Amino acid sequence: MYPFRSLPENLIAFCAFLRDDHGFAIGPREAHDAARALEIADLADERAVRHVLRPVLSGTREDAACFDAAFSAFFFPGPSRVVQSELSARPRALNRADANEPAPDRMRASATAEGGIDESRLTVDGQLVPAPPSEVTDAARVSLARASYSPYDAEGEVGGPEIRRADPEWCDAARSLVRRLHVGLSRSWRPSTKGQRFDLRRTLRVSLQSGGEPLNIRWLRRPKRAPRFVVLVDGSRSMSGAASTALELAVAIAAATMRIEAFTFSTGLRRVTDEVQRAAAGDTVRINRLQHAWGGGTAIGECLRDFLRRFGDRLLGRQTLVVIASDGLDVGQPDVLRDAMREIRRRSAGVVWLNPLLETAGYEPTASGMLAARPYITTFAAVNDAAGLARLSRLVRIRM
Amino acid sequence: MSRVDAAAIRAAFRERGFIADEAFGTALQLALALEKPLLIEGPAGVGKTESAKVLADVLHTRLIRLQCYEGLDAMSALYEWNYPRQMLHARLTETDGSSLEQREAQIFSERFLLKRPLLEAITEERSPVLLVDEVDRADEAFEAFLLEMLAEWQVTIPELGTIRARHKPSVILTSNRTRELSDALRRRCLFVWLPYPSLEQEIDILHARVPGLSERLALQIARLMHALRGLSLQKAPGVAESLDWALALMSLHRDHLDAKTLEQTIGCVLKVHEDRAVLDAHRDAVAPILSDTSSRTEPGGYGLETDFGFGSVSAPRG
Repeated sequence: MYPFRSLPENLIAFCAFLRDDHGFAIGPREAHDAARALEIADLADERAVRHVLRPVLSGTREDAACFDAAFSAFFFPGPSRVVQSELSARPRALNRADANEPAPDRMRASATAEGGIDESRLTVDGQLVPAPPSEVTDAARVSLARASYSPYDAEGEVGGPEIRRADPEWCDAARSLVRRLHVGLSRSWRPSTKGQRFDLRRTLRVSLQSGGEPLNIRWLRRPKRAPRFVVLVDGSRSMSGAASTALELAVAIAAATMRIEAFTFSTGLRRVTDEVQRAAAGDTVRINRLQHAWGGGTAIGECLRDFLRRFGDRLLGRQTLVVIASDGLDVGQPDVLRDAMREIRRRSAGVVWLNPLLETAGYEPTASGMLAARPYITTFAAVNDAAGLARLSRLVRIRM
Repeated sequence: MSRVDAAAIRAAFRERGFIADEAFGTALQLALALEKPLLIEGPAGVGKTESAKVLADVLHTRLIRLQCYEGLDAMSALYEWNYPRQMLHARLTETDGSSLEQREAQIFSERFLLKRPLLEAITEERSPVLLVDEVDRADEAFEAFLLEMLAEWQVTIPELGTIRARHKPSVILTSNRTRELSDALRRRCLFVWLPYPSLEQEIDILHARVPGLSERLALQIARLMHALRGLSLQKAPGVAESLDWALALMSLHRDHLDAKTLEQTIGCVLKVHEDRAVLDAHRDAVAPILSDTSSRTEPGGYGLETDFGFGSVSAPRG
């Protein structure tokens, strides 16, 4: 057998492979469950083994999607008809893994950043079915390609910005933004001294102290809903300085609330929530330049549409405030941007567009991208420092 | 019920009109064998909830359903005391001379306990199927509570003591991914993604659930559904929609689908106004699926006009 003799050894090596090279969340419990699961499978049947291991070892749809490729890479590493024992080394990374990216979570991030997993094209086996040919995707590809060849494209190894814990002023401003943002009342009832609803349960409980007479009345009240934030930062060259400020803003918000998701985009979308949250916790994190996600040209519309398709369902909602930091200099189709903005607006509590150019004297938002996006923006502002964020917290309007 | 194999589960599901593929059958088998909760994710209307109902039927056990919603709290999922009844009881027994301890024991006895789904699942005699539906709709706080529940299978009621599960329920959680679930919850569960069915599976499902449906109509419905799901719709139609549609067409006595019928019954399939515009823009894509013969000239077909105009309404054929 390959690479070890016994089944448990192979299974453990496979688990380690999934964990280290593909970022699966697999611990001893999962490995143990996998061993138990193999007991009920017919080990001679490769498909059965795949079906048995997939539910146990994968935790998300993305896991399930790359499980089969990983399974083949681990157990059938060579070309077909080559006996396993004749192969020498264990295969390391799969082709989807980026050689420049050592940490497993980055690799998965890169897989998704490349649009490696198109969720609408997954089958239950986690295999990708070929994309139906359509004009829309072709058009998208053309404009993405154009953006990456454009003179705005990143040159050589432009490193991403370094982000670290936000200053106290930033944190204060972000806290005030989170506090002031009123996205309606939660549907749950919480005990409170004053409230709209009588709390029979607690009133009775406390009345035990007074011999059963309900002297102290307890009330229930609906607490404020905690707002969610989605911060999309334009990482194109034209934004360079302003993008770092926008990331600082994201870190400050992450310090004030857990409910934040952060992305960078230029010609591709990349989720940087982990990096932002680590920075908020005190680490100094460098956002790696990855594909075209930092320092290239911008296809805002394509990226926003990509965001909607991959994350829209999970992240948008009536309590989500979408913050887009971009100068609106778009190389894509204005129609795509308009549709994406309309969709984002429809599915969120509000859209804040932070444009660094707005501070420039004499600036008019007349770029085609800005014109397309403008009708769907609820708050149009510029934030250059903590005071700007504090100002923003008084400015943000929420659609109720 | 210790060793059920995937093929047997799939066969039993098929008998009950649920077409499960190999991967899904194996996942169900694993959930039963390992006694772990099964988390089913997938688009709306592919039969996530239905699979739990069918599973309960296959296992000849009760289905206990906990529908999650925003603001669901632990108490409405676990238990509540029946306060009005307790108060009434306290007032009525005020003068019967029983001691304080006796009265307290009476008031806080099982008679006055309202069992909510989770407590019910624990106290059931035979291990039931517990369906935690749309777990993504509940708040994070409830998710944490659910985690504890799935790990311990015991509930402590201060007045009664700890109640431990006699048999572990088989748990199925469903999620529509309106929110990211926590890693901790995912790691407690087996995971399976239930996608839209393939063309052949959908035809199978249509025949299994709508007996008497003609071969041709089933093929047309399945192909059209496939085409629709490929478009960028706001609400892509699920299997539930194709079944509704098949029933609607049956009750209109259609044995095939043409442009006019599609126009009349599209409300069964597309539930958002904007989506109809999307369909109109892609007429060319669906045109080959529709038959070009109109419903009037089709022998044996009944047009809407004939049915309502002349009152020749007949029972659905087949």
